[in-house]
Amino acid sequence: MIDTWILPLILFAPVLGAVALIFVSNQQRFLVQMIAAGASLISFVLSFRLLYAYDHTVGGYQFIQRLEWSSNLGISFALGVDGIAVPLVLASSILLFTGIFVSWHIKDRLKEFYISLLILAAATIGVYVSLDLFFLYFFYELSVIPMYLLLGMWGSHTKNYNEMKDTKKRDFVGFILNFTSNSKEYAAMKLVLFLSAGAVVALLGILMIYVGSGLNTFDIPTLAEHSKFSGTLATIIWLLIFFGFASIAPLWPLHSWSPVGHAAAPAATSMLHAGVLMKLGHFSIIRVGYEILPEATRELMPIAAILCVFSIVYGGWVAYSQNDTKYVIGYSSSSHMGYIFLGMAALTYVSLTGAVLYMFAHALATGLLFALAGWVYDQTHTRDIPSLGGLSRTMPFATGCFVVAVAASFGLPGTVSFIGELMILLGSWNKYPVQTIIAVLGIVVTLAYLFRMLRGVFFRDPTKEIQYEDEFKWAHTKDANGFVNRMPLLVMIACTIYFGIFPGQFIDVIGSSVEPLLEKIHGTELVESQAVSSTSMIPSSSVVLGGDP
Amino acid sequence: MSFTLSLSGADLLLLLPEIFLTLWICMLLAVDAVPSRVSKKVIGNLSVVGLFSTLITLFWFYANGKTGTLFNQMFVLDPMAIYFKIFIIVSTIFVVWMSIEAVERFPAFKGEYYFLILMSALGAMLMASANDLVSIFVTLEFTTFGFYILVAYLREDAKSNEAGLKFFILGAFTAGILAFGISLIYGATGKLVLTDIQQAVGEPSPVLIAGFLLLFAALGFKIGAVPLHTWIPDVYHGAPTSVTAFLSVAPKGAALAILLRVFFVTLAAFTAEWIWLLVLVAIISMTYGNIVAIAQSNMKRLLAYSGIAQIGNVVIGLAAASKMGGESIMFYLWAYLFANLGAFAVVIAVAHVIGSEQIEDYNGLNRRSPFLAFAMLLFLLSLAGVPPLAGFIAKLYIFVAAMQAGLIALVIVGLVNVVISMYYYLIVVKKMYINEPSDSSPIAVSPTLKVAIGFAIAGTLALGIYPKPFIDWTVEATYLFNHLDIASTSKLIALTFGG
Repeated sequence: MIDTWILPLILFAPVLGAVALIFVSNQQRFLVQMIAAGASLISFVLSFRLLYAYDHTVGGYQFIQRLEWSSNLGISFALGVDGIAVPLVLASSILLFTGIFVSWHIKDRLKEFYISLLILAAATIGVYVSLDLFFLYFFYELSVIPMYLLLGMWGSHTKNYNEMKDTKKRDFVGFILNFTSNSKEYAAMKLVLFLSAGAVVALLGILMIYVGSGLNTFDIPTLAEHSKFSGTLATIIWLLIFFGFASIAPLWPLHSWSPVGHAAAPAATSMLHAGVLMKLGHFSIIRVGYEILPEATRELMPIAAILCVFSIVYGGWVAYSQNDTKYVIGYSSSSHMGYIFLGMAALTYVSLTGAVLYMFAHALATGLLFALAGWVYDQTHTRDIPSLGGLSRTMPFATGCFVVAVAASFGLPGTVSFIGELMILLGSWNKYPVQTIIAVLGIVVTLAYLFRMLRGVFFRDPTKEIQYEDEFKWAHTKDANGFVNRMPLLVMIACTIYFGIFPGQFIDVIGSSVEPLLEKIHGTELVESQAVSSTSMIPSSSVVLGGDP
Repeated sequence: MSFTLSLSGADLLLLLPEIFLTLWICMLLAVDAVPSRVSKKVIGNLSVVGLFSTLITLFWFYANGKTGTLFNQMFVLDPMAIYFKIFIIVSTIFVVWMSIEAVERFPAFKGEYYFLILMSALGAMLMASANDLVSIFVTLEFTTFGFYILVAYLREDAKSNEAGLKFFILGAFTAGILAFGISLIYGATGKLVLTDIQQAVGEPSPVLIAGFLLLFAALGFKIGAVPLHTWIPDVYHGAPTSVTAFLSVAPKGAALAILLRVFFVTLAAFTAEWIWLLVLVAIISMTYGNIVAIAQSNMKRLLAYSGIAQIGNVVIGLAAASKMGGESIMFYLWAYLFANLGAFAVVIAVAHVIGSEQIEDYNGLNRRSPFLAFAMLLFLLSLAGVPPLAGFIAKLYIFVAAMQAGLIALVIVGLVNVVISMYYYLIVVKKMYINEPSDSSPIAVSPTLKVAIGFAIAGTLALGIYPKPFIDWTVEATYLFNHLDIASTSKLIALTFGG
């Protein structure tokens, strides 16, 4: 019974929570927190249920719900998940649930904050569960405005904002928008304009699919089965879809809104932004580009294989030279998105499964990093790494979590990122050896900047006077304590490690959808030969990694 | 041509809403003339009652599928006319309801205000039924006449006077253009009824082309499409806000009814010729409106320029020259009605308390009145075309229609404009939500305005979340465009890309 309605429940629990919050006053803080936590808890629990209820022996779209919305335009409100969507729905609801607790202590307009956060998370979940192009776009667009409010209302100006009143230091976007480049208003507006611009490019592609197919429907399974696009038209549509959605992914050179947005955003927003909002791009490319335009995908995906190298190298390089904790994590996220594109571009069973798994893994790892960076910022009111240091003295728990987060981020064995990363690299090796080598070197760079941040924030002695406890600059800071502060961190750590040790269910679920997709892209024979080679390269996860729980 | 006028009671029934409204207006005048100490609010409330009754008769017409023509086809009652009449009456109810507070602050002529609004609404209703060049002229001037007075209603206010004068001079000029265009068309074809002209038009002669261009110019003036938009910002700015709200919705809807009849019925055979004119007008209107709106510092002027851009979007639907184009326009109008009237209602509510319409004074509105800020947020985002609001579906509908017609370039320009418009709408959102107020005293909203804004919010959300009934209604109401064949044009895409 609950399985029939599981997708509407996961999707609408946050929406209903947001609606309920409208009628509550900010004075009733506890009630506000409880409604938000309760709504997100429903999604959280049901998403786990979804992972294990999805029948990977059958595959395909499951838990389908359909409601006619406009027969004239051929739109129906169709919900359904395949193996690629399931992990991402889970990631969204984990980050929403933990994000609610991470932002528990916000003082200003908490109710509005939670409303925006719930709508944002519901919008991302909506994209993952939509089986209708119209609603995919609907939810995609819907995610933009909450981001604007979250950044603008609860964000913070980035480094040196107060000194940066000099108008000459604006970049050209800032000049046009009449904001200084370091203000949160600038970050918020840039984010909206980049995402909207990307969205309308994708919308143009979607409209061309709708009109060009002549089927008078936005239904993705129908379009995937019956539409026939080929030649120039297919190429143009694919490029529109790819670059439209890649701007949110964010693929180099369309990434510049993202680190700025991270830096200006409050912690919970950054978590959702890096964790799931960016994956909307990859997911939509797979859902729309791969499903509906398989031939164009096979021919054009090498573009992504080239651009992803720039993402990895450029992101890593810039992350290493940043002094702002959130900029480091932000650029590291853009860099890591390159791995996902590499896995997607190689178009092998192992690499694509790995890419989807890595999306989930990255959501948890980055979510954890941002949650901790947010905690440090709340305590010290600075994100400047050189002026931080030695925080392990006052916040041992947070330090421990941060170590795990760093490990999860570069992919230490035992974390789920390791499996995702490994699968991407193994799967891509045959097709793109150069890129794979660069990606492996990218992991070294990841290690370098993450350890640099770990040392700079938590371990390095900030001053010589540190021996004298009372002169320690950050002696007043507090560790993450109590249920509310520790629980979200522990949930993310637990998921990272648990699924790192027992990824079987994930790989089965993802694989059940990746396989037919690749069959469509390559034709039948190629996949089988790949499947053989892949089993010889990476034995079924359950054998190596300890079996299915 | 001989006119034989034979009217039976059954025929007059087709005019029931108009006749009823006329009688009701007379009654209101009589009530207003009675010297009493009763507040003029009574007249406002009575107007709402009368409008609601009119609405009920229209719904009854719609439910019974009442159609027919009168006066040698000068007046036509078809589903599209009923659709536009309902649109006009609903917008009038909104405007009267949100004026009740504002009228009390007028220095004089409080009762006459309602009379003029209702007379203009009556004219607009007749415009929706106009099926003949003469009745187009008469009803158009009938509608505009009330507005000449309404725009200049604040006699002591220089801006209102300036607006009235500008509107009057340009309006009178437009009337001349319209009359000239009509005489050219009549001279070339010898017909007045739109459907007759359709058959009489053989090859397009220069005279006929000039005639239709002038007709389009006059109607373009009413809807405020570039290059005939120049009156809009000043008139919107100077007129009392409730009048601006009315001016921005009802007459535009009525003029679009005429435009739809002229382009989709009379000129259906010449789609290929006039499509480029409309494409051009749409592109310029959208781009100009959106770019100039960025520079505005006054809320009413911002909404004026945004209105020009919105009309550019509507013209995309006209340029699609298909049944779906007609549907999308008619759906768009509802989205525009709720968002625009709602936004003006918020402007009225804010102006009541702080006495200013400058965007700067909206700083920190979220702290001063969360309700007003939230309402304004929804209305602006709906105008920008953000889901799950009405404007999103409406814009998408129009783009789909244009895409079906193969107007890819137009869709691209429209999409770019969506991004541009996002910027200035969000600047207002930034002021309301992010900036801190200079004076943080709360803003109280009167119950009547709250009801009006609440209904506008409900409409904006309902149309955005479940538009099916409205879409179905537009599909029914546009059956008279069934002859427009889109199959030929939708091949354009395939041709362009050789796919």
